[in-house]
Amino acid sequence: MDPTQSTTRTQTLESVTGVHLMQGIGHKPAKGFWGEAWSQVVRRPGAMLGLAWISVISFFACFAPVIASGHPIVWRDKTGAETVTSYPLFEYLTAVDLLLIVFGIVGPLWVLIPLGASRGKRLGMLIAAGFQAAVIASLAMYLQSRITHGTAPGWVLDMWLNVKAPKENPNGPRDLLILLSSLSIAGAVSLLWIFIPFTKHWWTRVPFVLLVGAVSFACISAKWTPKLESWPYHKFEASGKFEGTYTLVPWSPLQGDTAFNRKAPGESPASMLPEDRVYKTVDRPYVLGTDADGRDVLSQMLHACRLSISIGLVSTSIAVVIGVTIGALMGYFGGWVDMVLYRVVEIFMSFPVLLLLIIAAGVLPRNTYVMMAIIGCFSWMTAARFIRAEFFKLRDQDFVQSARAVGLPLRSVLFKHMLPNGITPVLVDASFLIAAAINIEAIISYLGLGPGDRPSWGHLLSAATGQTGEFIWWLATFPGLAIFLTVLSYNLIGEALRDAIDPKLKKARV
Amino acid sequence: MPATTPSTAKTSTRTSPSASKLDESVPLLRVADLAVSFDNGKGPRIQAVDGVRMTIYPRQTLAVVGESGCGKSVTAMSTMQLVPRPPGRFDRGAAFFNHNGKSVNLLTLSEREMQQFRGSEIAMIFQEPMTSLNPVYTIGDQILEAILLHQNVKLDEAIEIAVRAMDDVGIPDPRSRLSDYPHQFSGGMRQRVMIAMALACDPVLLLADEPTTALDVTIQAQILELLRKLQNDRGMGMMLITHDLGVVAENADVVCVMYAGRVVEYGTVFEVFKHPLHPYTRGLFASIPKMHEHRRRLVTINQIVDNLDEFKKLPGASDGVRPWWPWHDPPKDIRPKPGPAGDYYLQEVSKDHWVGVWRTAAVSDHESPPPDLDYRIADDPDAPSKKK
Amino acid sequence: MGTYLLRRLFLLIPTVIGMTFLIFMLIASSKGGIGAALAFSSGAGQAKGESAALQRARLEDRYGLDSNVVVQYGRWIGRVSPVKFGTRDQVSPAGERFREPRSMKDPPLWEWFVGALPEADAPQEVPAKDAEDEVKQDAYRQASNDFAAARVDHVRARTEFELAVGNLLRETGHKDAVESDGTVNLGLAKRIEPDKSHAMWSDVEQKAQLMLDTYKKTISNKATLDASFATKPFPEAGIPIIPGVISVGAPDLGMSFSRSVPVISLIKDALPITLLLNLVAFPIIYLIAVPSGILAATHRGSWIDVASGSLFVALWSIPVVWAGVLAIGFLANDKYLGLFPVSGLHDNDAANFLMLPSWGKDGFKMGYALDTLWHLCLPVACIVYGGFAILSKQTRAAMLENFTMDYVRTAKAKGVDGGSIVMRHVFRNSLLPIITMFVTVFPATLAGSVVIERIFSIPGMGSMIIDAIFLRDTEILLSNSLIIGIVNVVALLLADILYAMADPRITYK
Repeated sequence: MDPTQSTTRTQTLESVTGVHLMQGIGHKPAKGFWGEAWSQVVRRPGAMLGLAWISVISFFACFAPVIASGHPIVWRDKTGAETVTSYPLFEYLTAVDLLLIVFGIVGPLWVLIPLGASRGKRLGMLIAAGFQAAVIASLAMYLQSRITHGTAPGWVLDMWLNVKAPKENPNGPRDLLILLSSLSIAGAVSLLWIFIPFTKHWWTRVPFVLLVGAVSFACISAKWTPKLESWPYHKFEASGKFEGTYTLVPWSPLQGDTAFNRKAPGESPASMLPEDRVYKTVDRPYVLGTDADGRDVLSQMLHACRLSISIGLVSTSIAVVIGVTIGALMGYFGGWVDMVLYRVVEIFMSFPVLLLLIIAAGVLPRNTYVMMAIIGCFSWMTAARFIRAEFFKLRDQDFVQSARAVGLPLRSVLFKHMLPNGITPVLVDASFLIAAAINIEAIISYLGLGPGDRPSWGHLLSAATGQTGEFIWWLATFPGLAIFLTVLSYNLIGEALRDAIDPKLKKARV
Repeated sequence: MPATTPSTAKTSTRTSPSASKLDESVPLLRVADLAVSFDNGKGPRIQAVDGVRMTIYPRQTLAVVGESGCGKSVTAMSTMQLVPRPPGRFDRGAAFFNHNGKSVNLLTLSEREMQQFRGSEIAMIFQEPMTSLNPVYTIGDQILEAILLHQNVKLDEAIEIAVRAMDDVGIPDPRSRLSDYPHQFSGGMRQRVMIAMALACDPVLLLADEPTTALDVTIQAQILELLRKLQNDRGMGMMLITHDLGVVAENADVVCVMYAGRVVEYGTVFEVFKHPLHPYTRGLFASIPKMHEHRRRLVTINQIVDNLDEFKKLPGASDGVRPWWPWHDPPKDIRPKPGPAGDYYLQEVSKDHWVGVWRTAAVSDHESPPPDLDYRIADDPDAPSKKK
Repeated sequence: MGTYLLRRLFLLIPTVIGMTFLIFMLIASSKGGIGAALAFSSGAGQAKGESAALQRARLEDRYGLDSNVVVQYGRWIGRVSPVKFGTRDQVSPAGERFREPRSMKDPPLWEWFVGALPEADAPQEVPAKDAEDEVKQDAYRQASNDFAAARVDHVRARTEFELAVGNLLRETGHKDAVESDGTVNLGLAKRIEPDKSHAMWSDVEQKAQLMLDTYKKTISNKATLDASFATKPFPEAGIPIIPGVISVGAPDLGMSFSRSVPVISLIKDALPITLLLNLVAFPIIYLIAVPSGILAATHRGSWIDVASGSLFVALWSIPVVWAGVLAIGFLANDKYLGLFPVSGLHDNDAANFLMLPSWGKDGFKMGYALDTLWHLCLPVACIVYGGFAILSKQTRAAMLENFTMDYVRTAKAKGVDGGSIVMRHVFRNSLLPIITMFVTVFPATLAGSVVIERIFSIPGMGSMIIDAIFLRDTEILLSNSLIIGIVNVVALLLADILYAMADPRITYK
């Protein structure tokens, strides 16, 4: 019995029997669960369109500050004998802008250029890196705001006052402190990260973690300039002694000018100016018009991509973490734990969640982070129910029983044997949750309960119908279309994923 | 093929067809060179059944034996067109059913014509009694549905027929249990309900697809006993699909052993049990643990079928006749016909015994008839041991 | 069946309590807590301060704002529950509700000034118990007004005193005892020894004197009011179970401050509108989604399946606010198509309409019913479109799953034809998950209708809630949430019962 010979004999057959399959003929090598699911998703045109749109949004989320900004890229000052050139656009990028730009460039390259490790693994490392950078950035920014508002812990403030004392270089010591603190935070996060397994040997992660830490820390410590929305560059340009080169969309999102009022798509600021103008203006039209305060809609929409992406991801992550934890507790322990926690789930489910969210958004502080948190905290129920149901099934299955029987610790049984088998429906559901979160953000912003401190599609949409009954079609159409396409994309990806992993539907034929 | 509608021929008066009405010398069902394959989504199609031949006579039990996935159920379901198409497809062959003296190819009937045969002429019982009944309808609803479909009777007559059918299969207090739901029955009782449902319309052919596999041993015996009794009373032909050789020995007249979608051995139950010729059949028998033997390890089927000596035991082995075995390379002098299963041939080795062999020079020169055994143990005076 | 229903109804109580607790805590955790002042109060200057103080006093009565939030919740649920504990309220024939006056809160930081709190004067004379009702009522109203006036003065004096204390503390280096909004952290302040030599101390002392004077007047007036209340000037509300301890009566949903009417009367107007929207929308969702789901399942992979699937996913993804804005803008706005009314549920002139359409001499008249339907078109369209996808998809999935079931094979083997298999066997079994979907679809529709009401200015529960959020009208917020929650829970209960009826495997025990 020589399998190689049989292979050569039957390879040309157009059909195979069970024996051939046992001999390994007619089988394609398994791609693994997620590989298989991915190849199913790729075959759906809808899902691919969705992925493409999400990529576009992500691109703008990273690069919006250098695509749409009121700051000129190059600014030439000809007042003196020699022309002084400066680069305001880059000067006024915030730390987060800079980090995202770095990620926007490095990320795709990192995933697309083959580098030994498999693409999925590299994607995992990228996500890990993003997470690490986000933690470092938010901790450093938190610390910075505490210092500047004087509400930091005593020892930090003492240190701060000590380093502030030398007057020669007022920025030097402050930067040094921030440098040191972000370095230590980066170090701590990196250490933590090294011990979270996603590649086989922990030491292979060290250089990667250090690299990401160094990049994020460099970005953050280099950029402590306060955010500047806009500057009356045009006023200076009118004197003829200055000259600026602008980005593609030469307006910052919140750069409003009440004198200019609302303009329809295609109009340019120049067309509205009086003859004796003190402003030299960019002669480019507002492609998508402006809102009532004369703020460019396109620029706002581009900058809002970041909010849209982050609100979906952050709130869904919160929901998944809460849901998986509670669901796992219910499903694994059962009994009274299940009874008590399931009552909580039922209470949450017995009220229209959207209404709960509207009330929460209405009474709690109007803040982007609060909004992410409340959306996350009020949408974990489906995840919890999925995990609970899966765990109830898994708990009695032989491999879990035997894992328990050989005395594996609870941690190992839960995270190694049960969670990977039960998490699939939750991950598919996450796609729908992201879509729902974006939808909810739009609704809350539309109702006027949103943060309003940064551009948001929902906020723009809400300006489309005023109390006076007027209707501004471009404010209704473009932001709404963006929300719709994003929600549709996530829904399509979710549908494709669900169909890909649901063996019941695959089997079903009429 | 002209559309034939059995329901017009069948009237309400025909409540107990005696065996004499059926011509016992004509096979009820003749499966000829059946090949069924399934779409695998990607990659080549899966050939589930390939060149299967068999016959079933009235009052005869044909046992189809083989491991899971060898094509037993697909064969049975194909004859009722229950194979979902697509992904399934009939590649070749025919299943001729003797309907009132006319031979009807079941595979080419339209869905509407086929519905007239299903349930009324050919009935099938399935392996899983727990899930084969619709949970939201009462037992009565489900039995009556079949009766009202196929027999031209009023509702109260139909209820009478259903009650009688349930009584026949030994369900106590049938009239009151008609309004019970399946979940109120035990597994054995549900299988009885399935049988009652299958037999309510007096089919002439019963396809029993592992009717006892999901049941415990005592219930198994009861159900098989019941089936045998009903078969004798009504003169039905029965295809009994199983992988339990004990069940075969107890119940079958003719045995058909299948492997990888092909028939490897076909013969009367005594022939096959006494003189198994194909190594696979021999392996099957050898792998049954024996009561009085003490062995450290049981003989596995692979030990038998890998043993080249086993292959030489076939009559004519010296002339180059070799049992067909997909795990071996075909002999040098193979003369395959074009198309699938062209390398395989079901060879008659004695009057009541067929074996699947490679189509070598030795066999292709001696065309043998397809398997066809009009044999019943009950009629056989020479049967080595009469059953009970 | 009866006991099953009873048990299920009984189980609703903890759910409703948990749900309202959640919302209560949400509001309590907001800035200002349950007692947060109205964001808008009528009047200006003096009048505004007075109305705010009055509101504050009412809220304090209702919730006891000085106690723990959980206790506050307890007070609230005690008021809204039909089973009540303690002294019964008294209700005038006009529907005014009078409850036993709550004990007064001690004035803050009085330890700084006096050795002991002032005692109340003896209550003024009140009519005897057997006096005429009218006399008792007049006396009670008089006492009540006196008390309210004194209390408003006291609350204002207290507020001014706290401001003065806050200024003093800030000046004397106790910044941490003053919150960022200027209120004093009383717990911390109590432990501070005030700097009596500071120039601001005299101001504080003066304000304290005023506060204590008003306090004394208030508690004196309260004693009178208590005595007057004890004469039972009005009929008592509810039916006593154990007199003085437990009674059963209508829920007390409180007064809306922004509209100065009992919340219950607002809800009486708004609830039917919301229910009407949902009751029109819901059958439409089921009637479109379920048949299309069945079609998609029976024609799996065909263009019907793909087209209905894609269309519904696209519809599902349209944000409801966008749909609403576009509908108002393009379909209703006169500048564009102007086909439908822009807002509301009736024409302005609807009160004068006939019920049915009619032909008069000035042409066709819509009539009340048709006018309402016409107004309903856009809102209902906006509510329903999002529900199709999830229900149709679920129907399709359930049908497909049931198609693989063994009993379908059995039915086929019996000779049942394809149509009967689809409807009689597969669809009948798929009914169960379709009923289950109610649990997902109904709350979504209900919440959707809230948003839609806002967009189309329909005066339903949703509009009311969102107005109340902006105005910080706690009573409306809590009561409307309670009512919507109950509507939702009852709907889910109906679905449960329907499920139990559809599935013979479930017994009502």
